[in-house]
Amino acid sequence: MKSFVIKLFTLFILLGVSSAYASVPAHSPEETVNNTHKEETYETKPFSEMVGGFLTSTGIYAFINPNPDELDSHGATISDFHKSWGRIIMIILTFFLFWLAIRKGFEPLLLLPIAFGGLLANIPIAGIAGEHGFLGIIYNMGLSNEMFPILIFMGVGAMTDFGPLLSNPKTALLGGAAQFGIFGTLVGAVALSHFGLADFTLQQASAISIIGGADGPTSIFIATKLAPELLGAIAVASYSYMAMVPIIQPPIMKALTSEAERKIKMTTLRHVSRLEKLVFPIMVLTLAILVLPAATPLIGAFMFGNFLKESGVVERLNDTLQNSLINIVTIFLGLGVGSKLAANEFLVPDTMFIMALGIVAFSVGTASGVIMAKIMNLFPGNKVNPLIGSAGVSAVPMAARVSNKVGMEYDRSNMLLMHAMGPNVAGVIGSAVAAGVLISLFQ
Amino acid sequence: METNLILEGFKFMGLGMATVFAFLVILILMINLMSIIIHKYFPEPQAGNVITNAPTASANKNNKDNKKIIAAITAAITRHRQA
Repeated sequence: MKSFVIKLFTLFILLGVSSAYASVPAHSPEETVNNTHKEETYETKPFSEMVGGFLTSTGIYAFINPNPDELDSHGATISDFHKSWGRIIMIILTFFLFWLAIRKGFEPLLLLPIAFGGLLANIPIAGIAGEHGFLGIIYNMGLSNEMFPILIFMGVGAMTDFGPLLSNPKTALLGGAAQFGIFGTLVGAVALSHFGLADFTLQQASAISIIGGADGPTSIFIATKLAPELLGAIAVASYSYMAMVPIIQPPIMKALTSEAERKIKMTTLRHVSRLEKLVFPIMVLTLAILVLPAATPLIGAFMFGNFLKESGVVERLNDTLQNSLINIVTIFLGLGVGSKLAANEFLVPDTMFIMALGIVAFSVGTASGVIMAKIMNLFPGNKVNPLIGSAGVSAVPMAARVSNKVGMEYDRSNMLLMHAMGPNVAGVIGSAVAAGVLISLFQ
Repeated sequence: METNLILEGFKFMGLGMATVFAFLVILILMINLMSIIIHKYFPEPQAGNVITNAPTASANKNNKDNKKIIAAITAAITRHRQA
């Protein structure tokens, strides 16, 4: 037995050695062919020519002398302006966004990735935002198919507490009224095209108007579905206005309310049982299924996150949704949106109109929330402080904090934060429903 | 054609706002109904019940934990002595 094993072993060694020898002559001709091939293609160049060739591949050269053959992601040619000065302007603009995010604290979590994505997207030659660049890959991976906004919605759902809404359900109406900002702006955008100032189709007008919902993921979801060419401008407008909530909202709130109204104290919120919080997400989803299935991707993801949280038995999943997952997706979402800040897509007249319409949408939403609260006060029942009406635009939890802060300015003891969270989360549902309506109209 | 577009916008607005409000009004009614049902048929356990149950449960758990800790310590000591 032992000798057999040894024989077998020597046989293998012999085979191995012979095959190794056999393979050497088979390989060597190829290698020599390769070597000669290389020698043929590589010609010695004078050093000046090498330097010249290198200089044409620098950024400075590309900014001054744009490559005429460069195509954008749709295969169309890009104008020289967008390849030279446009890029420089966009890079300076991203520096401004950095300043807003870092110095002014405007939604830095999203604005920083978006701005850096924009910076990368405007680099000539590298083509980072192109089909095969990493920003382009991120964009195709999760933005063009609406994946990332949905994932963000799951995380937001897991972070949301519907308690304040459940204990004072009628404040949900405020979240509904604020959606007036969306549809009011839709009319505005259509009117702009009517008077020949801009050229928006109904789809584009709808995608722009959703900025009034003050809900970043919803805006991105709708924009990618209805008008992907406007995504960059819409996302930037949406997030920068959300960040500017503390500047935009207070003047409108103060202009529409009297001092006595601002001092209204609301009755304390009742305790909400765990079962109520557990049933609520299923209830909303059921309602969405029956009334508006087009809104279920957004509402479904939102309620999934909330259901996991309220179930109380999947703490690990809940924790992942609230932290790791939403953080990872935020990075990708920001970079992906940033890739749409490429000069040839962003520096167009439409962007200016989108920015202008966005702020109109926001202001109208805020105003109609406040006015709705005043209307509700005409009816008998517990009084509502109109300041919480402004929280009906989503922008969770920033808008609710603004309501609280303005309320405290007039009465130090008036804590409106929890009362404002009701309309605030209702606003998220409201804008998801509005988004569903817009989607269903165009399908 | 062009005048139609603005009209179209207003139609969208009417339909959209009606849907949003209808959704939220139904939601409000359902929340109220749900809270009535839950408070009537599935009231939260009284605070007293929770207190009477809690110590026994936590005591059991503590016992179990203590036993585990003791086992771990003894194991560590024996290993240390052997070494």
